Amino acid sequence: MERLGSIGAFRKWQRELKRALDPKQTLITICGGTGCTAFGAPGVEQAFRDEIASRGLSQSVSVKRTGCHGFCEKGPVVVILPKGIFYPNVQIEDIGRIIDITVTGGKTIKDLLYVDPATGKRIARDHKVPFYARQQRAVFRLNGILDPTDLGDYVARDGYAAAAKALGAMTPEEVIDEVIAAGLRGRGGAGFPAGRKWQLCRQAPGDEKYLICNADEGDPGAFMDRSLLEGTPHAILEGMIIAAYAIGASRGIIYVRAEYPLAVENTKIALADARQAGLLGRDILGTGFDFDITIHKGAGAFVCGEETALIASLADSRGMPRPRPPFPAVRGHHDKPTNINNVETLANVPLIIRKGAAAYAAVGTEGSKGTKIFALAGKVNNTGLVEVPMGATLRQIVFDIGGGIPRGRKFKAAQMGGPSGGCVPAPYLDLPIDYDSLQEIGAIMGSGGLIVMDEATCMVDIARFFTEFVQSESCGKCTPCRVGTKQMLDILTRITEGRGELADIDRLEQLGEMIQQASLCGLGQTAPNPVLSTIRYFRHEYEAHIIEKRCPANACEALITTTCSSACPAHVNVPEYVGLIAEGRFADALNVIRRRNPFASVCGRACDHPCETFCRRGDLDAPVAIRHLKRFATDREKTPAAAPAWRGPRQGRVAIIGSGPTGLTAGYFLACMGRHVRVFEALEVVGGVLAVGIPEYRLPRDVIQRDIDYIRSAGVEIETGRRISSLQELRDEGFEAIFIATGTHQSVTLGIPGEDGDAVLDALKFLRQVNLGELTSLSGTVVVVGGGNAAIDSARTALRLGAEQVTLLYRRGREEMPAIRDEIEDAIVEGVRMHFLAAPTAIETGPDGRCAVTCCRMTLGDADASGRRRPVPVPDSETTVQADHVIVAIGQGPELEFFAENRSDDRLVVANGKWIQTHPVTQRSGAGDVFAGGDVVTGPATIVEAVAAGQKAAVAIDVFLGGKGELPPDTGFAPRTKPDEADADAPRQRIRHAPPGRRRGTFDEVLKGYSLRAARREARRCLRCDLE
Amino acid sequence: MPDNITLKIDGVDVTVQAGATVMDAARAAGIDIPHLCYDPDLSLPPTSSCRLCLVEVEGARTPVTSCSYAAADGMVVRTDTERIVEMRKMIIELLLSDHPHDCLTCERAGRCELQRYAYELGVQAPPGPTVPPQPVVDGPAVMYDPSKCILCGRCVQVCQDVQLSGAIDYHGRGFDTRIALPPGKTRRESACVECGNCIDVCPTGAMSFPGAERAGRTWELDKIATTCPYCGCGCTLVMHVRDNRIVQVTGDPALGPGKGLLCVKGRFGFDFVSHEARLTEPLIRRNGTLEPAGWDEALDLVADRFGRIKSAFGPDAIGGFASAKCTNEENYIFQKFMRAAIGTNNVDHCARLCHASTVAGLARAFGSGAMTNSIGDFEVADCVFVIGSNTTECHPIIGSAIKRAAVRRGMPLIVADPRAIELTEVAAIHMQQRNGTDVALINAMMHVILSEGLEDKAFIAERTEGFEELAKAVEPYTPELGEKITGVPADDIIRAARIYAQAGAASIVYSMGITQHTTGTDNVLSLANLAMLTGNVGKPGTGVNPLRGQNNVQGACDLGALPNVYPGYQKVDVPEVHAKFEAAWDATLSDKVGLTIVEMIHAMHAGTLKALYVMGENPMLSDPNVNHVEEALKAVDFLVVQDIFLTETAQLADVVLPAMAFAEKVGTFTNTERRIQRLAVVVDPPGSARLDWEITCDLARRMGCEMSYADAAAIEGDIASVSPIYGGITYDRLGEPGSEGLQWPCPDADHPGTPFLHKGAFARGLGKFHPVRFIEAKELPDQEYPILLSTGRILQHFHTGTMSRRSDVLDTLVPAGAIEIHPADAERIGAQDGQMVRVASRRGEIEVAACVTGRVAPGTAFMAFHYNEAPANRLTIDALDPIAKIPEYKVCAVKVEALAAAATAEA
Repeated sequence: MERLGSIGAFRKWQRELKRALDPKQTLITICGGTGCTAFGAPGVEQAFRDEIASRGLSQSVSVKRTGCHGFCEKGPVVVILPKGIFYPNVQIEDIGRIIDITVTGGKTIKDLLYVDPATGKRIARDHKVPFYARQQRAVFRLNGILDPTDLGDYVARDGYAAAAKALGAMTPEEVIDEVIAAGLRGRGGAGFPAGRKWQLCRQAPGDEKYLICNADEGDPGAFMDRSLLEGTPHAILEGMIIAAYAIGASRGIIYVRAEYPLAVENTKIALADARQAGLLGRDILGTGFDFDITIHKGAGAFVCGEETALIASLADSRGMPRPRPPFPAVRGHHDKPTNINNVETLANVPLIIRKGAAAYAAVGTEGSKGTKIFALAGKVNNTGLVEVPMGATLRQIVFDIGGGIPRGRKFKAAQMGGPSGGCVPAPYLDLPIDYDSLQEIGAIMGSGGLIVMDEATCMVDIARFFTEFVQSESCGKCTPCRVGTKQMLDILTRITEGRGELADIDRLEQLGEMIQQASLCGLGQTAPNPVLSTIRYFRHEYEAHIIEKRCPANACEALITTTCSSACPAHVNVPEYVGLIAEGRFADALNVIRRRNPFASVCGRACDHPCETFCRRGDLDAPVAIRHLKRFATDREKTPAAAPAWRGPRQGRVAIIGSGPTGLTAGYFLACMGRHVRVFEALEVVGGVLAVGIPEYRLPRDVIQRDIDYIRSAGVEIETGRRISSLQELRDEGFEAIFIATGTHQSVTLGIPGEDGDAVLDALKFLRQVNLGELTSLSGTVVVVGGGNAAIDSARTALRLGAEQVTLLYRRGREEMPAIRDEIEDAIVEGVRMHFLAAPTAIETGPDGRCAVTCCRMTLGDADASGRRRPVPVPDSETTVQADHVIVAIGQGPELEFFAENRSDDRLVVANGKWIQTHPVTQRSGAGDVFAGGDVVTGPATIVEAVAAGQKAAVAIDVFLGGKGELPPDTGFAPRTKPDEADADAPRQRIRHAPPGRRRGTFDEVLKGYSLRAARREARRCLRCDLE
Repeated sequence: MPDNITLKIDGVDVTVQAGATVMDAARAAGIDIPHLCYDPDLSLPPTSSCRLCLVEVEGARTPVTSCSYAAADGMVVRTDTERIVEMRKMIIELLLSDHPHDCLTCERAGRCELQRYAYELGVQAPPGPTVPPQPVVDGPAVMYDPSKCILCGRCVQVCQDVQLSGAIDYHGRGFDTRIALPPGKTRRESACVECGNCIDVCPTGAMSFPGAERAGRTWELDKIATTCPYCGCGCTLVMHVRDNRIVQVTGDPALGPGKGLLCVKGRFGFDFVSHEARLTEPLIRRNGTLEPAGWDEALDLVADRFGRIKSAFGPDAIGGFASAKCTNEENYIFQKFMRAAIGTNNVDHCARLCHASTVAGLARAFGSGAMTNSIGDFEVADCVFVIGSNTTECHPIIGSAIKRAAVRRGMPLIVADPRAIELTEVAAIHMQQRNGTDVALINAMMHVILSEGLEDKAFIAERTEGFEELAKAVEPYTPELGEKITGVPADDIIRAARIYAQAGAASIVYSMGITQHTTGTDNVLSLANLAMLTGNVGKPGTGVNPLRGQNNVQGACDLGALPNVYPGYQKVDVPEVHAKFEAAWDATLSDKVGLTIVEMIHAMHAGTLKALYVMGENPMLSDPNVNHVEEALKAVDFLVVQDIFLTETAQLADVVLPAMAFAEKVGTFTNTERRIQRLAVVVDPPGSARLDWEITCDLARRMGCEMSYADAAAIEGDIASVSPIYGGITYDRLGEPGSEGLQWPCPDADHPGTPFLHKGAFARGLGKFHPVRFIEAKELPDQEYPILLSTGRILQHFHTGTMSRRSDVLDTLVPAGAIEIHPADAERIGAQDGQMVRVASRRGEIEVAACVTGRVAPGTAFMAFHYNEAPANRLTIDALDPIAKIPEYKVCAVKVEALAAAATAEA
């Protein structure tokens, strides 16, 4: 084309191009970004072109290769305009259908459409896909639309209008003022105000100045700069022209890493086209302003994010930072005043100039304006580039746009700001993200790397991983960074290998603070962030590694056997018994289970199975159904086996208070270790919460009895109907050690008026009465208040007792419910109505005995310490629900009176006024011979956690009594199944449920067991990670 | 900005100049802030890598490094808060965690800065496994132990930004970062010049000299400063001595023109002093072999033979070669002996072979034949024009100063040299002229300057004469003609002329490439013309600067070891001068100009010169057409050689007299910038070796001429009394050995010395332009001898190798000579790199290894003359410059033939 000699000529050309745009034209856009290209986009594009040509559609349909759409994991991405039909993961064999059905037929092809992982629904239009719909794309808005190699395409969409405006109608000072007013802050990391930076460079003496676009993008997780250069290179050039004009620079350099060949290629084309059009070079658009840009391909190093290191690298020296001042604005490239902005910053500039500072600054927070692009990755359903306004919350990014965490795991934290950023834990999910808020909580914006971590991510290991990265990327120049980060890495490695000491945490903090304060450049100053922020928020994980030699996330290889066994609080050797089941050796399998967990039958039904959450098979399709397999093994046992009996005299008398799973487990193992054990149970029925808390349809009585019989067979004596009122009384009886495992049998009250009415029941009491056969029917409508397992159990029990209608009120949303997920689903299937975001504020019992429950509507506020959103009452939103019965199930605690009697003389420390405090490993209390464990120490926990607590206590008490505290060996049955025999294709075997329609009025068990064939098939799905 | 700023450091008010750093201010206040990476002596921007010098500045968010942080008025600084001290301790702890705890055996113990700060801060070596030392001995000069390296980067700075070799750099990243040579390269293959300056700047034992291992702990070593015996730079060496043996040499940033920088020779070429082959007693030839004798016997024999020859054939039948390696005092005594005791002016020395044309040319043009300006001037020059000087190899300290100016200041450097020497790498222009065409090149440059009106008209008018003749003479030398003669593209000539003429202060640097021609004097005159034409004389950063090749060649000339002048360039044939010296020395002196070196050789050949007294010279290797020299020396009746080794020349002598080496003497050297510097007695002499001047005085006495001095200082007094340019020189004024001394002219006791000559007026009054016409070299390549051979020096060796070849490090580095030939010529003759070749000229032939390199132009070759195994001077021509009588070492014709592989293998 001809060189545009004036701004008028440019505007005329732009008008012509705009007129030529046809919004109705059928256009197939294929993403040409690096991600989609790697997935095969060029082949798809060629196939489209060939097919269209062969069908003679070339006149009416065009094909365009665009820049990156940002949804890289779904590549190759194809969008068919004007309707915006969105096809992810397009394969060459789909193309014929797409042309026939969608392009010419105007219909969507259902099986090719995008499936929302959150809802499972298929979505046809790109702007309806949640990943896109919830974003606010400004900088990125043209990326999936433009042909990056076509200058006209950019100009037709207002491209270079901002440059024309700046050069034609604004003074450099006005441009700077505008950018300052817009509040644009550097997107490369530190967030320094861009306009202010320009001003410093403009004011620096010297007639030769440089403008450098930093496209080095050292953060390994971030790729927004690459995508922008690939997709809209002209926007960067336009930003540079404006910046150069403002600064008074005549030379520009794009420092781009050589590993970005497509970005380099597209930028080269853009430079040549812009130069030819008179938008670069001498006398740009006839304004007398001279500016040209060259490309410098760098080898790319993380440290080149530091401006002075980048400048050194530009001079072909080793990329090493130097002390500042002098700042590059005064002495930079070739010792001349130099301004460096990163790609994303420069891409924002045309937006500011074109629309004005006020419009730009309308988006964002007080201190951070505009939008920010994040590279969303890690344990999140949708990964890719995400542009949101400054001030968006992590929850919006991770859950609304990212579609939440795969496999239903919990969100633990997000690493923000790249390898030298910090982790942002769940309580900050609702924090509006900007430069300042992140800084405050120990993270940084960085270039926008955002890595989501779930509960299977070990925070110590992640800190070690990032430290390893920054250590290996340290330029080696300054001592704190070079040696200090190495020492941190050594310590972290030691901790993750179970060789840490408590003093290591202090040392890490000392080193970290020193490195932050004393390092020469930003790399070192931020390098300790991952460590310091994980210590700040996840100190308990460090302590678990150090004190308990345990990795809570089951990730540190040195500390785990297999993820499933490690995830099991009782550390049952899962792969071994699953392997035995696969071979049909069911008795051996049961034996393996019982070596760690005497409640095999109970846990086969009512366990919350964390083993499955961490099962590696779950990363492929679905986790092995470990719990069902366990149940299967117990169901196969026709004649109850006896526990391995202690041969020889028993020594050491142990009293155990409470016959729940904790107490009986402790008793079982102590008996196996040759101790004389007596369990005291206040009720007449043995089993604690198992017997009186969990409804029969989940856990039939004979199943509980089977496990209790087994435990008794080990030599455990159980005395029922005896409530211990004084520990001294036990000592007087000759017990040398006492284990308190009394659980939590006291309900928490709502604390609202009318709670003490006759029709208001407390869930524990209600369930106990039902389980003991004291209450056999219920009629009318029932309102259950609460969202935990007790609430669900109460609701489903009420239905079975004959209630016509059961409504559950929960003050948060379904996502936040703590109850076991399957149970919630079953409750709904059975007809329990759920009212979320509703909390009772008063209960009025009428003269007819019916209750009027006044509820307040709640809304969810910011995350609390658990990361769940806090319910906040909506003013004036009260409604009233009528009910014949109200069951309150909002929490439970231990019976405080018991402790009150003994606290003073037995030095039992009670934390929070509630729980007994014990040593985390030995479970020993302040009173030397008294141990405590289970719910009474931790608060309500799961059955398997109760078993684990009993197991730990048994070990500790045995040691206390002079034994070795050895549990029976849990291996040695040697299943012959090998990992390569794993049934790779078999889907998870389904288990049968009782039909929902037949569940009312009966307490028959809902879940039915596996058939032999299904069980063995399921067992063969195990990958046998233990043999790796 | 105020000139002075006041800040408070640790509660103390300090006033410093604006621009000072906090560290500077703290030093001014007497507060020592620990630092490891910062070396103020390097005068480089701080790297701030060790982070030990962190201080707290009120209002700053984090601590700042005081080495880099600018002091400001009103600033409040604390250097000693608990936080800062804790950080420093932690940093030392970190460094120690990655450092061998081997202070018991580490050579640096006692002067290790890491050890010092660990001690001062009370930091214990952290527990845990220690890093074992991992010394890498890569050649004889520098040993690097990465385990001891704290990566302070001083060595990288000195290598890259001071020495400008750029051999070492950081490699790798993170904890594995190392200072290293480029991967896969040995030290010899790298750009390393083995200057060893990295050893001096290293704060720990990471960089060390392997030769000093277990030779003594720092507190057991005497450290004695003295002046370097090699080239004319005159660097100060600090010699570390134990048990009368020099163990190591280091530089001292406070001393000498190199400001602590040394080159490979100065630093490592010291062990010849204690070499077992040193002469320890006089030798007398009996029955054809040299046998030990007593001093009396030897000196009596010499006095007797000289006396008899003198009476039989007259005093002019005896000649003397003085020495550019000996002190000023010794040269003074030697020439006085020849003139007063013998009665002849037949005294000369090897300045004849290097800078006779300088003395002749510059004296004619300016009135004084010495380097006009000082070494320090390269820091202020706006342009340097180097012609015929391989500065980085022959004057390494000056070479690196010029490189620094070019690289660090961006000063345009113009290099004219037939070879692509190292300086061309940083030059703005390299004019690769054909050997021997300098006059045409310079005339063409002047043609451009005049035709473009770039000459300094005021300077020409006020300070010079003869301009018209010059203008006329250069008229025909258009750049095109220049190109035709020299082979340098006309455009380059034009560009070079413009850069030189338009620079504010432009300096010309030259050396043997200009002087060692039959047109040597013409070449020098041309350069003088060029400088005067552009007004580049008499100001700092300008001048015509011949670089003198030997440590005291300037002094030997100054002190009259020349056949035509008495000390201080006072002509023997001027009657008043003659009378003055007869009176001063109380002797009858000859008023006839004596013979030059080559003339004496011819005279010996011809039989007219019967006896020769050689002090510290080795014409058997240094003089052209050595075969001819050998015949001459054999023809002479009586040959006396006074030296420290039995040189090739001494082996022919009738009497050999053992002398002391520089490290054993008191005396002075005058370096290339006319700087007179003292020597120190570092070690005792071997055997009965004596001071040269004592030997000569003893000899004079035995010949009936009383020459007796109490010590060297007394001789200096004598010199000052007869030589006005040394008139103000006394040992007291020169200061301690190794200190900066004084630059002549220094006519009286109050004169501060002269950093640059010809300020305001030339020594001769007006500067004189000499029109010079281009003349070809004497012997050009032809069919039979198709290759043009040029000779010179290499970095690692010196002159005839008497010293450098007897220094372990230097001789290990480059143990054998080689002839540089262009790949095209090598291919033509079928020689591979490293293969032995036979090189022959009309005068002789030698066998030597070929070094195939693009550094030389096609059709040309280059050889160093240091090696007696392959003496280049068997090939060179003894054609002389008619005025200066300097031989044309730089151009002769040779042929080169490849030898069979067997010969190569044998060799």
